[in-house]
Amino acid sequence: MSEEDSLTFDLSMKKKKKKKKTPFDVDAALNENEVAAEATPPEPEIPDSEETHATELTPQTNDDDLSLDFGGMKKKKKKKKPFDMDEMAETLPEKSESSEPVPTVETIDAGPSEDMDEDLGFSLPAKKKKKKKKVDFEELVAEEEDDMDDDDLLDGRRDERVSGNAVVDGRSWSGSDRDYTYDELLSRVFDIMREKNPDMVAGEKKKFVMRPPQVLKVGTRKSSFANFSEICRLLHRQPKHVLAFLLAELGTSGSVDGNNQLIIRGKYNQKQIENVLRRYIKEYVTCHTCRSPDTLLQKDTRLFFLQCETCGSRCSVASIKSGFQAVTGKRAAIRAKTA
Amino acid sequence: MTSIGQTFGNSFDPFKEASKEDGRQTGVQEGLIHIRIQQRNGRKTLTTVQGISTDYDLKKIVKACKKEFACNGTVVEHPEYGEVIQLQGDQRNNIRDFLKSIGIAREEQLKVHGF
Repeated sequence: MSEEDSLTFDLSMKKKKKKKKTPFDVDAALNENEVAAEATPPEPEIPDSEETHATELTPQTNDDDLSLDFGGMKKKKKKKKPFDMDEMAETLPEKSESSEPVPTVETIDAGPSEDMDEDLGFSLPAKKKKKKKKVDFEELVAEEEDDMDDDDLLDGRRDERVSGNAVVDGRSWSGSDRDYTYDELLSRVFDIMREKNPDMVAGEKKKFVMRPPQVLKVGTRKSSFANFSEICRLLHRQPKHVLAFLLAELGTSGSVDGNNQLIIRGKYNQKQIENVLRRYIKEYVTCHTCRSPDTLLQKDTRLFFLQCETCGSRCSVASIKSGFQAVTGKRAAIRAKTA
Repeated sequence: MTSIGQTFGNSFDPFKEASKEDGRQTGVQEGLIHIRIQQRNGRKTLTTVQGISTDYDLKKIVKACKKEFACNGTVVEHPEYGEVIQLQGDQRNNIRDFLKSIGIAREEQLKVHGF
């Protein structure tokens, strides 16, 4: 129960904060009447900025005006204390109508309120509040704009963009001093990308489709890669080259039999062979520059070069190496052979 | 008969500077570490790790690996590939994670072969 009470109390406090500073002012005034006298000096300094802000912020809500009025006279505030709740009740709807600013303002207000207590310069905090509010409004507007962009990003935005740099500059942040947010920049860069290459919008890019390898078990310790020659044909690579790579990667031996299927020693399933094939395609089939699979593999002075038919790039590819091979057979037999 | 190593010296590596070019290489490891799998008889396999920098004491690495992976292992000397670690069984994922976590090599320096 006590929690609820405290909660409600907090809520009311927050509302007050939201609404106007009156509650703070009142409290401050009650507690620190003496300080008020001291605090008055800061006010004279304020006017310059105050005026400027006033000019900027003229289209503000009534609440601010009210608060300013309160700022003028402490006594008035005191008197009004009893009415605060009623006023709040009245003002609440207004706020809710203005809707979006409320939460942000609420959070921001915590800071200024402390300042108020310290300064007791009512107009100063009011200004602060206004300033922040203004920023919030701008951001909100910008966000709304962004949302709009997302919605009809292909239509109006695009046209505006094409029309000239002015519009690019005319992004939501350009009118204000505030920094652009990451999201805004991100959406902007994607807009530009989509605009410059419309193909990308349709589908990411042509996927390189491969037929899956058919791998069967032959007996207990051999596997057969049934559509080996077909896959080599699809990749436009010599079976010899693919075979060398497969055997080097798998670290086994194997050969192509009479009906063009590859027999590999060891038990492998389709997934494993697919992995190796994928690596082969990545290294020896797709162009390293543009990723196009439309390439030729040429042998030039003992080195393999990958020539791309799409972008014309030509780069060398790693030679197939089986690397270190440990002795797994019978050592005695090897010794007998070499000796 | 003299071997190539005796004549020209093993320490000279013509591609040393080329592989160091990116400058942000922090460790002493340069070049790729190849982790391979090799068939033995039956369903037994052997994992070989080739290309770990000679600045490391491979024997100590093997000792740690043996304990960590609960397998046997050894270091063999090869005239072309230098010192190579052999571990029993398919330890490819284990050794990859081990080398990464211990900071010997970065992800892009490890090349795991096999299926």
